[in-house]
Amino acid sequence: MTGATGGDPMTATTGRPTATTGRPTATGQTEPATPAAANRRGVPARRRRGVQWRRKDYGLVILAAPAIVFFLVFAYGPMAGLVVAFQDFNIKDGVFGSPWAGLSNFEFFFTSGQMARILRNTLVLNALFLAATLGAGVLLALMLNEIRGTLLRRGLQSAVFIPYFVSPIVISIFLQAFLAGVGGRGGIVNDALNVFSLPSVSWYTEPGPWPWILTIVKVWQLGGYFSVIFLAAITSIPEEVYEAGVIDGASRAQMAWRITLPLLKPTGAVLLLLGVGRIFYGDFGLIYAIVGDNGILFATTDVIDTYVFRALRTYGDFGTTAAIGLFQSVVGFVLVMIALGVQRRYSKESSIL
Amino acid sequence: MTTTTHTAPTGPAATRALPDGSAQGAPRRRARRPMEAFTAVSYVGASVFGLAAVIPFWMVLAGSLTAESALSQRGYSFWPSPFSTAAYEAIFSGSRVWLAYGATLFITVIGTAMAVAATSGLAWVISRGLPRLSRGLAVFSYIPMLFSGGLVPLYILVTQVLGLRNSLFAVILPLVVAPFLVFVQVSFFRGIPGEILDSARVDGAGELRIFFQIVLPLSKPVLAVIALFYAVTFWNDWFHALLFISDSNIYPLQLVLHNMISNLSMAQDLAGAGAAPLYQIRLAMTVATIGPILLAYPFAQRYFVKGLTLGATKG
Repeated sequence: MTGATGGDPMTATTGRPTATTGRPTATGQTEPATPAAANRRGVPARRRRGVQWRRKDYGLVILAAPAIVFFLVFAYGPMAGLVVAFQDFNIKDGVFGSPWAGLSNFEFFFTSGQMARILRNTLVLNALFLAATLGAGVLLALMLNEIRGTLLRRGLQSAVFIPYFVSPIVISIFLQAFLAGVGGRGGIVNDALNVFSLPSVSWYTEPGPWPWILTIVKVWQLGGYFSVIFLAAITSIPEEVYEAGVIDGASRAQMAWRITLPLLKPTGAVLLLLGVGRIFYGDFGLIYAIVGDNGILFATTDVIDTYVFRALRTYGDFGTTAAIGLFQSVVGFVLVMIALGVQRRYSKESSIL
Repeated sequence: MTTTTHTAPTGPAATRALPDGSAQGAPRRRARRPMEAFTAVSYVGASVFGLAAVIPFWMVLAGSLTAESALSQRGYSFWPSPFSTAAYEAIFSGSRVWLAYGATLFITVIGTAMAVAATSGLAWVISRGLPRLSRGLAVFSYIPMLFSGGLVPLYILVTQVLGLRNSLFAVILPLVVAPFLVFVQVSFFRGIPGEILDSARVDGAGELRIFFQIVLPLSKPVLAVIALFYAVTFWNDWFHALLFISDSNIYPLQLVLHNMISNLSMAQDLAGAGAAPLYQIRLAMTVATIGPILLAYPFAQRYFVKGLTLGATKG
């Protein structure tokens, strides 16, 4: 729930819902003036009894107004601000005064030679994160579901959920204690390696294993969170299904595998879909908190977001970074739409929107 | 995370939402048979995961109480020996940590209040199921989950257009409405029986009155849920602070901690004059940062589960 930075060219249209507000009854479809898209609930678009605004209905507008303003400014505003991607932006002239640059910003990024690496890292890391966290979540939910003692179950459920609440910065400090020691000496993992008389590894100068390290961190952080969601879905599975399983002589493992798992598919599909939509975003908070400006690790950890952030901070290059951002959003959007289509096709009941 | 919440926008099929995500069920459907291998594996697996989740917290706590001499040799510690509270004395005697607590508290309290107000208002209007308005607003709130302008326009907006550099509101405002939580709340609001509202309407109550005097008092559980989610988001935010705040007097806790990772002189700075136990301070600062959340966790945890459940299993 980090992302409140969305945006899109819809700014102009968004005023409309507010303007047509005062529908007094929850059922009446009215207002022939705006033949908008809202009419999917099968109510004929015919006026019921004239459009009367009752004064107290303005209350609804007041209630929704702060959030509407928020979305306009912080979500849709930046979407409009993406015009910067086509400009040779400089702070002095601002968004409205900077000269146009056509597609040169895009060209710069796509021909910079960095792109292949960054795109690959972004896709590989996110795919790993998504598969691993969802997998761990399902597995953990199935395992927690087997535990009979209420107290133990509660305790474990609380424990696995804790990591969700700490910030990436804190996670980064945890990780240091494991890989490098707080002062850059030792570290638990190396001490463990030494016990088996294996040589210590200087983790923070070794890009190879980092995709896996980050994946493990991600599983640690989100595995419990997803397991809570899946557990909730498990609890809503009707009892009878399992009774039937027991009568048929199914083992616990068979029931988990053949009954519970398939019934978790809709939940999993939705989570997957949301994940796919974010697949181009990397996980800036976590990766930047852990890797920071450690250039040695960029080969395997630099993703679009971290690259953009660095480019912005070190070169102040607004145009190119906005171009990358736009590219990222568009590809992400297309991916969601594709995923949505695929999902609609295969499971009607669990599709988004 | 928003699993099926999006059905929220669709419909008047409102009434089936449970009042408060009550899906965390007791263990059930146990066949009484000897324990199977799968069950045994589950006990072990879940316990291992549970331990792994908690151990880092213990290590940081133990480390923060271990004397620098021991800490700088191994880099971590499972047991605070030799025991030392030097780091805590050092950081809490300086003013930095208190300033950071002040900034973080401001962000968290003001931010959460604004967020809960804005989110509830919007969610209520969406949940009313008014034909054009509700659905339009639902889509309007949903689009930002799919498509975002990204970092650069946000940066320009906050620093150039709004002129909020070095203001704590630069951290608060971009996070004020989380679409996911809007839908969590919508699905709760739909569970409020229509009769109550109708009777109020018959009595001539206006929309505002209905909302403040009937809906909000009925919604305490969900308000707690979303307030907690927001509070954690605000407490943990460091990215917006990193972007927009350069005045070290208003650095929130997370940013202080972040700067300590990259350079130890920040720790020195925290401790004031004299030779400071730098590594230990780093861990003590970590404990100071997560402490309040961990203290609240046992009380708050069930609300989080409720919130997730509410968002995840409806529809």
